[in-house]
Amino acid sequence: MNKFARFSSQFSLLLALTTLLTACGGSDGNDGSPGEPGKPPAMTITSLNIIVDKVAVTDGIAQVDYQVSNQDDEAVVGIPSATFIAAQLLPQGATGAGNSSEWQHFTSETCAASCPGTFVDHKNGHYSYRFSTAYNGMNGVTFLNDATQRVVIKLGGDALADGTALPITNQHYDWQTSGNTLAYTRNLVTIETCNSCHSNLAFHGGRYNQVETCVTCHNSKKVSNPADIFPQMIHSKHLTGFPQSISNCQTCHVDNPDLAERQNWHRVPTMEACGACHTQINFPAGQGHPAQADNSNCVACHNADWTASVHGNEDQMAALAQFSPSISSASMDANGTVTVAVTLSNPATGTVYSESADKLKFISDLRVYANWGTSFDYSTRSARSIRLPESTPVTGSNGTYTYTISGLTVPAGTEADHGGLAIQGRVCAKDKVLVDCSTELAEVLVIKASHSYFDMSALSATGRREVISNANCASCHGDQQLNIHGARNDLAGQCQLCHNPNMQADATAANPSITSFDFKQLIHGIHTSQFAGFEDLNYPGKIGNCAQCHIKDAAGVSTVALPLNSAVQPLALNNGTFTSPIAAVCSNCHSSDTTHNHMMQQGAVFAGTKADATAGTETCAFCHGQGAVADILKVHPIN
Amino acid sequence: MVQTIHPASYSRDNKGMIMQIMNISTPRACFSLTLLAWAISGVLNTAHAEGYEIQKANRSGVKSDSWSCKQCQPKTGRQGNASATLAYNDGEDSRFGNRTGTDKDGLVGAVGADMQYQAESGYHTRLEADKLGFDTGSAKLTTGQPGHYQIQLGYKGLANYQYNQLKSPYLTDNDKMLLPENWVEGATTQSMPLLQSSLIEQDLSITRDRFNLGGYYAGHISSSSRYKASVNYQHENRSGAKKTSANILTNSVMLAHPIDDSTDEINARVYFGGAGWQAGINSQISQYKNDHQALLWQSAYTPTFGATYFGQNAVAPDNKAYRIAAEASGGQNGHNILMHAGISNMSQDEAFLPATINGPSPVLPTGNLDAQVDILDMVLKYSGRITQDLSVQASYNYQDRENKTAQLDFPQVVTDSFHQGAEQNRLYDKRSKQFDLKGKYRLTPSAYAEAGYSRDEVIYSELDRQSVDESGLFAKLSYRYSPAWSAWLKGETLDRNGSEYDPVTSTQSPSNPWLRKSYLADRKRQKVTLHTDYQSDIGLSVGASLHSIDDDYDHTLVGLTQVSYLGYDVSAQYLISDNLSVNAYLNQDWHDSDQAGSNRFSTPDWYSTSEEKSTLIGAGIAYQNLLDNRLDLGLDYSYSDGQSDTEVTYGINSPYGDYYSRKHNINAYAKYKLADSMSLRFDWLFEKYQDANWQNQNTTWDTVPNVLSFGDISHDYNAHYLGLTLSYQM
Repeated sequence: MNKFARFSSQFSLLLALTTLLTACGGSDGNDGSPGEPGKPPAMTITSLNIIVDKVAVTDGIAQVDYQVSNQDDEAVVGIPSATFIAAQLLPQGATGAGNSSEWQHFTSETCAASCPGTFVDHKNGHYSYRFSTAYNGMNGVTFLNDATQRVVIKLGGDALADGTALPITNQHYDWQTSGNTLAYTRNLVTIETCNSCHSNLAFHGGRYNQVETCVTCHNSKKVSNPADIFPQMIHSKHLTGFPQSISNCQTCHVDNPDLAERQNWHRVPTMEACGACHTQINFPAGQGHPAQADNSNCVACHNADWTASVHGNEDQMAALAQFSPSISSASMDANGTVTVAVTLSNPATGTVYSESADKLKFISDLRVYANWGTSFDYSTRSARSIRLPESTPVTGSNGTYTYTISGLTVPAGTEADHGGLAIQGRVCAKDKVLVDCSTELAEVLVIKASHSYFDMSALSATGRREVISNANCASCHGDQQLNIHGARNDLAGQCQLCHNPNMQADATAANPSITSFDFKQLIHGIHTSQFAGFEDLNYPGKIGNCAQCHIKDAAGVSTVALPLNSAVQPLALNNGTFTSPIAAVCSNCHSSDTTHNHMMQQGAVFAGTKADATAGTETCAFCHGQGAVADILKVHPIN
Repeated sequence: MVQTIHPASYSRDNKGMIMQIMNISTPRACFSLTLLAWAISGVLNTAHAEGYEIQKANRSGVKSDSWSCKQCQPKTGRQGNASATLAYNDGEDSRFGNRTGTDKDGLVGAVGADMQYQAESGYHTRLEADKLGFDTGSAKLTTGQPGHYQIQLGYKGLANYQYNQLKSPYLTDNDKMLLPENWVEGATTQSMPLLQSSLIEQDLSITRDRFNLGGYYAGHISSSSRYKASVNYQHENRSGAKKTSANILTNSVMLAHPIDDSTDEINARVYFGGAGWQAGINSQISQYKNDHQALLWQSAYTPTFGATYFGQNAVAPDNKAYRIAAEASGGQNGHNILMHAGISNMSQDEAFLPATINGPSPVLPTGNLDAQVDILDMVLKYSGRITQDLSVQASYNYQDRENKTAQLDFPQVVTDSFHQGAEQNRLYDKRSKQFDLKGKYRLTPSAYAEAGYSRDEVIYSELDRQSVDESGLFAKLSYRYSPAWSAWLKGETLDRNGSEYDPVTSTQSPSNPWLRKSYLADRKRQKVTLHTDYQSDIGLSVGASLHSIDDDYDHTLVGLTQVSYLGYDVSAQYLISDNLSVNAYLNQDWHDSDQAGSNRFSTPDWYSTSEEKSTLIGAGIAYQNLLDNRLDLGLDYSYSDGQSDTEVTYGINSPYGDYYSRKHNINAYAKYKLADSMSLRFDWLFEKYQDANWQNQNTTWDTVPNVLSFGDISHDYNAHYLGLTLSYQM
């Protein structure tokens, strides 16, 4: 706009203002009264919804007006206490070139019996809180007009006068002094992402359960130890025991379009955020990296794309998308020799590789495993296998080749049962394409393993019971990213081919059940930090939340519900004794003498004969069965 | 022009591709200069061909015989003058030398002369010399028979003084920039123990010595047609130093990069002409040679990876260019046509430097770029008087720039440790077609109206937009109110758009998808100019004009969104008497621009406004023939002030700091005639100059930990030049 145009628009604005003033008659108006009750009072409360109407600043002091309702949108009146936290966000670069945006804590004020500010319950679900004093200067922080401000309201943990308990609820509200649109934010992660592995995170006595709350205090203006500033703290806390690749930043910094600053992880590198993982570097001292006094130069070398490419696996995923093996048919003869047909395809082009695996030089490894007896969790712990790159197919052409796997154990009378198959492998890739494994600098990538089932004559949809899913494992371990024994990552159906009840527990252990490599005992033992070698594991969720791993059956009932599936076998001990199936699995966690005695009294067998252990004397389901008084689905914090 | 201190923008030794790009880009700068010179010379050549055929004027009644100019009769024999100057020059800040022609401090001397010899036969020889003894001295000897043949030999010195007070620990040794022998490296600039004691002054100035030898020969083919052939050779040596930067990883240094190079140019032309027509061919050849092959510099920093004690930067590569063009113009009965066609070729095949001198360098696909760029340009112009009151002009310009360099995969080395695959060199071709049509209609003897349409179509390769076109309309009304007063008003509107905006993806640093680069973006431009003149018959003349331009980048979310210019100028001259005159002028301009950016690689979240303002004000007085026609006096004063205020709003508002330059100038002289053939002249030049740039204001060599800079790069001086010149008239 040139000077003339600017002048004319200013002039017309002035005219408009004059007209407005005339129309208003010059009165400055009185403060409006709070809204009338628009909602019926709440009778039951399972959750609280807090809606912030506005934050207004008068004489430098902020007042927040908000309303509280229950799960049914009914007004909640008479909330006895509340905490109000105020913080200010400095924009990216404000504290120095290259620095990320930064929260600055002003105050945290709690109103209960007494109140530092002015707390008003308008008795209609509406509340107001006027802070004790002006933000400016509080905690040594200068209040900046037009900076993004945050107020967090924390309610609950106590009860209404009539005894109705109030669930702990955190609600944040971001605002700025002029205008409704925030000029900038700092939205990097959601608590839902955290909770996909950590169930219902809550800290400081359970009072604070939202990322948006945490950052208002875990910043340089509130915590004295820099290691407790949120980004550094979170990064370093996940350094040890992280259940998947720590270098994949997008495990937490997911590409969620609702998060405006979701790309900060690769666009705003700082010594604080990066140094929290790259702990061998001392930036100012120049150890492990050229000396850097500040963050102004980081992006000069570590540009956004570079950072994304070294912390991501896009290249590898692109190569892996060019290979997918599948078992296209399977059958077994009476001698336990399985005939399997394997088809190798390229999903990226929708074509099949016409040659067999021994001719395809990009295949580093490809194996098929087989075991028999899905209705009794397999007949042997030694699943039979075949390595395809080293095997000449029996028959086949045009992409589908047939192999035989011999030596399966087929107990008499189980001929009508089903067998399990798993296929796993590794391929060689470079620059997003599959290459001959002898290629210089070729990278060996593990493919996603998969499983299938068969009967004597053909592939079958029926197989081993499904109680967990790879998707559930993925919430902490990534999508089939946890490679056990090198290349085995189908946790839901592959591991069990060998890790089955034929494994024996250490009979001399105080709690033998968590010494068995039988999958269920093993997994419970690992995740409870009891299994040998996993003592330092720190389970990130609530261990009693069985649903974090276990799925529901077709009827929508959790697969952990009692009674257990009849396929579940007793626990075998290495002295030839057995423990009855429910007792074995429950004692993975419930291992005290008291619970031990309780189980024995209700028919459980510990280290007894196989006949006793399989006699069905366990009466657990009577009280703990689905729908019973102490249903394990209810007594565990399952959600 | 804002000079940003940003390590990312430094050319780096260890970035293979960047050096290759430099190899390409530097000659382009040389070429464009040369082309500009050609373009200007082309305009000068053809200007007379555009007129309204003076040769067609009715001259039958003109008694040209009685026009003989008695004062113009060439005096035969020798005549001329010689002068010697002795002056005191304040050279403390060399920048003052741009005004005086020398940066020497203290007493300086120079001589000048203008001598000629005219023979009865028409043979004429002239020797001119000016300020010989100063860096900007010149001398020229011409001899021959004007109008028939002439030979010319010349010399001219040019100088550009930037800084002489900046300090750095670096010493220049041919192609190398070295630190003192006992230098102790530091991880940061603050931890270099010998930095303060090693600082020496760096002279950042460039001088040029330009020699030329040329001549022409002209003659008649027949009574009505003639020809003229000319050839000119020029050799220019350039020496001095300019400010540059170099870095290893994120540690950088500012250097006084030595400049020693030469350019040779040959121009040859043959023109034929007759009544109402002219045609000819002209050609140019130029060759650039750099005495430096590379810039090897010692790192002041503790090596981080391996033994990186030295870095190496590429320098401008040797290159060549030639051009040949033909043109013809002619017309009759009020219609004129001009045609022009030219081809140019630019090339360079300087051997590449290794991508890095620290550790193994990745293999380059070729030993040199073997760059070739061809340009074809054509112009067709028509001007004609359709009726007594209406005249029309139309022109069509075509230019095709084709880069014929081979496109190869070059290894991309981001730093010595990161080899990031291959990247192809970009060829950036451009083809433009420009069409203009305008008409001028005389409404009354004192008023005329003009209107025109223009269209400019450009096709690019390897840019975010394949084609950009701009159409414009203008209207102008001129009116002479009285013999003394006249005024005109011109309004113009231009609309630029083009093909779909599709950001280039084949790059390591893709741009924000919402970004619209300002030179490719849709734009609506409005221009208005109002001008008025007053000329009285009592010696007073006043001129004033007001101009404004508004640019609206109406489809830009991220990038330059709006620009506005507004300015006015007023000037007046008053001839009080034959011997006394005064003049004054005032000019102010405002240039405001708005920009939107994104910190999130998304829609805009920060906004900046830049407000630039410049003022120029001056006045002068000249008083001649005082003291019995022996004394002439003159005094001129001017003040100029330019400043820029930039504010960035990313939620909170961050104004940038000082960015300005201010200058007061006084130029006074007194010339006294001692005798008929001898005069003494006294000159006083005064300059008060100050500038500042917040980017380096109040910084020192070690303010930035990883930039060993020149510190505060600014000037603040009051300088005088006092000169006495004795002239002798022969």
